[in-house]
Amino acid sequence: MQIVQYLINGIALGSVYALISTGFSVIFNVLKFSNFSHGALMTLSAFIGYFIAAANGWGLVPTILVAVVAGSLIALLGEFVAFRRILIRNTSPIYFFVSSITLGTLYEGLVVLKVGANFHNYPRFFGKPIKWAGIVISQSDLIILCISAVALIVLAFIIQKTRIGRALRSVSFDRDTASLMGINVTRTIQFAFIVSGALAGLAGVFLGINYTLYPSLGSLVVKGFIASVIGGLGSLPGAVIGAMLLGIVETGLISIVGSGYMPVFTFVIMLVFLLVRPRGIAGSNIQEKA
Amino acid sequence: MKKVLSLLLMLAMLLSVTSAFAAEETINLGCLQDISGPTSSLGNMVTAGAQWAVDEINAAGGVGGKKINLIVYDTKGDVTEAINAYTRAVSSDNVSAIIGPPVANIALAIAPESENNDVPILGFAIDTKCQVKPDGTPYKNMFAFQPNAIQQATIMARYAMKNGFKKFGVIYNEGNAYSLSLQAPFIETVTADGGEVAKTVTYTANDKDFKTLLQPIVDAEVDAIFVPNYTQELILIAQQARALGYEGSLICGLDACPPFNTLFGEPCDGIYFINNVDGTEANLQAMIAAVKEKTGVDATNKFFLGYDVANILKGIFETVGTNPVDVRAAVENVTGYAGLTGNITIDPATHMPKGLEMVMFKYEDVTPIMLERYSAD
Amino acid sequence: MALYTHILTQILITVVSVAGVFVLTGMTGMFSLGQAAFMAIGAYTSGILVTKLSVPIFLAWPAGVILAVAVGFIVGLPTVRLRRDYISLVTLGFGEAITALLNRATALTGGASGLTGIPKETTLTIALLSAVVVIILITFFKASKYGRQCIAVRSDELAAKAMGINVPKVKMIAFLISVAVTAYGGCLYAFYTAYVDPTLFGWKKSAEWVIMVFFGGVNSLTGSILSTFVLSGLPEVLRFLQNYRAIIYAVLVLLVINFKPSGLLGEWELTPANLKRIIKRAGQAKQPKEVR
Repeated sequence: MQIVQYLINGIALGSVYALISTGFSVIFNVLKFSNFSHGALMTLSAFIGYFIAAANGWGLVPTILVAVVAGSLIALLGEFVAFRRILIRNTSPIYFFVSSITLGTLYEGLVVLKVGANFHNYPRFFGKPIKWAGIVISQSDLIILCISAVALIVLAFIIQKTRIGRALRSVSFDRDTASLMGINVTRTIQFAFIVSGALAGLAGVFLGINYTLYPSLGSLVVKGFIASVIGGLGSLPGAVIGAMLLGIVETGLISIVGSGYMPVFTFVIMLVFLLVRPRGIAGSNIQEKA
Repeated sequence: MKKVLSLLLMLAMLLSVTSAFAAEETINLGCLQDISGPTSSLGNMVTAGAQWAVDEINAAGGVGGKKINLIVYDTKGDVTEAINAYTRAVSSDNVSAIIGPPVANIALAIAPESENNDVPILGFAIDTKCQVKPDGTPYKNMFAFQPNAIQQATIMARYAMKNGFKKFGVIYNEGNAYSLSLQAPFIETVTADGGEVAKTVTYTANDKDFKTLLQPIVDAEVDAIFVPNYTQELILIAQQARALGYEGSLICGLDACPPFNTLFGEPCDGIYFINNVDGTEANLQAMIAAVKEKTGVDATNKFFLGYDVANILKGIFETVGTNPVDVRAAVENVTGYAGLTGNITIDPATHMPKGLEMVMFKYEDVTPIMLERYSAD
Repeated sequence: MALYTHILTQILITVVSVAGVFVLTGMTGMFSLGQAAFMAIGAYTSGILVTKLSVPIFLAWPAGVILAVAVGFIVGLPTVRLRRDYISLVTLGFGEAITALLNRATALTGGASGLTGIPKETTLTIALLSAVVVIILITFFKASKYGRQCIAVRSDELAAKAMGINVPKVKMIAFLISVAVTAYGGCLYAFYTAYVDPTLFGWKKSAEWVIMVFFGGVNSLTGSILSTFVLSGLPEVLRFLQNYRAIIYAVLVLLVINFKPSGLLGEWELTPANLKRIIKRAGQAKQPKEVR
């Protein structure tokens, strides 16, 4: 019975990690760089959701909607401010790295300016935990899991079945060729940022519900990074699988060795994956651009 | 570009230098606190209390005709920033004394540096290591003005045992000096008094998911969980313990004092905590109302700590003047100061207060109920 | 005065660490988000040796550097073969792991309470001397065969490989040099503040150093040093702006990356030849400034 309980806790943890890692992967998939501003974007949009919706007693769904819209808009703006010129100039992808870290600092700075590093707490959206045959499932975990699943299915549908999704895939494969084929590359990249921002907003609200709202909430993005390394950088199914796996393994390890050594184990797992299967579980092998 | 930058830089430096010259006939009093950062709610509360006291003193004519100028330094909860701010306070702002932070890690970082100066730091770090060196002698400039970790933990343990709890779980942050310093004396007292600690778990600063850690404690069916942690983690742990179906009690440190009840977002029944003051007393009620009206701040325990220390310093400035060396000597010999947080006497051997009182509380719904007053000896 | 000495000493210690990052990021194009963890290894090893085992400092500091290099070698072994993104993520994980270990090994490191009782030995003179020596050494390295190979690897890894450069080896050399220098910076730091705790060495610190290198000029050591002074001096000078500091900082860096992507100085170095040219130009023309 205990194992089932741990499994449930692990999946609940993994479902939030999955939102982070997919949002991160969407950008990696298209632009081939690790977007380090993703974490701070989650924080920023979660706070916007808090101040506009939750603090006014609007309930869960409006809060999520506000955060998602805010996340998308800010991501769009961020693309224009921090990445557009690097893209046009087609300079080394290492600039994306520095630009994204700085953008993250900027987002976090804005949050600190407003809330002064204090933490806030979303009002309780959920009731008492559900108990059934010795297993306890909290309502928040259940609902977060469902919403995450729906969001990821919608994302998969968009990418696989729609026109813009096809454009996204072709831009991700080869930007120049896609451009030659008449695809509006800038639009497509903007779309990728909107999707990533929306996921950031959603993940931000859920992280806020689970872990309270505070300016460095976004540092949980590290888990998303690790999950996408395990799953394969840039692969969306990989990101989800990696996140679930990480959630379950973490829960298991914590119950066995305690949380203190957790980062050491995560590091070792990541290293082993990179040595044995550098492209991750589901990733294709992305070569460094020559 | 370069020229513009260097010009800007020089301009800014000039500005910062000139600002130091302002205000001649004042007594500079430093207030080194976490104004931003994870423990900023504590730092802001101490600052608000000190400022309130300083405003009162200045309104009444100051000290010997001189106004007190409270200079606030933000440590940002970061030890490097704290050392920078401390150096600024003692070397360029020439403060007569510093009201220190209630955060152990910051105090620990400043302690070795403070040995090289003469400015006393009147802080609230409950970890004894902040005031006493490994060799047992006190750091000459480090003082604490609330009961230390051992005293507080003992009070909590005694109360819990008296209340009929027998079987305990403990969850603490091993990445935090404050949390670390409270758990050991609690466990010791409980076991010495015949109780049982069924399960102890630790976590680190980055942990936010406590369910897996709490699970074995909940499974052990303990009577109460001891949670000596900062407010934010406390809220997470309490929420997640309830989400796991735990219905027993939680025994918390100072961090469960209000505004914990408003931040928690649901009824806080079964949560016990320790406090420096009983906010329901008449004289405190009057002050809380006045502060609320004038500044909009809900004064809590740290406010009164800041207020008391500022007033102690006022008395010292009046008797020995503002030379930091004399002030330091006077702080070491504070005896029987009747403050809002109790009767304060500093023990020169430990630089911590003797016999200061603490009060145990519990929540009913969201209202704190006073239970019992303890002397910290 | 004490305040300015203090700030200057701190900046000089940062210069040492950033000089290490310059070798890795500026010259070789690798990003390490775990660089601060190597600083931690240097700081803690030397600190523990001196406080707990009373080892003399002239032995403890090299020991700190050597241990860091040894650990760096183990981490580097798999890492240098990976693509660049993975390097940053692996080093990130490494940094977190080190922080966790420092927190766990309470008996040795003091855990979260930090390591206290380190004697204060680093003075402004020592910091200045260290910075100068490190800068000279790195200047020599940049001009050496390996230095030029590093630059080739950064510019185009594939082409470098085709030219017969042993890419993993070059990367490893650059990595180890930067680790050694950063670890030395850690020794300086520990013996300056006399107190270290695990929170000082997170990935944000590493990221800050990378930004400093970029801000100054990717391939200019002079630029990295200049930007260390500007970017770590800025928060001190802008103290009166408190909350806006982080934002101003970010906006400045974004501006540079957008409009002068090669950094403030680009490839320009302060060499005797270049210095002469400046003096000459200044003497020649009292005319309006040239338009770039």
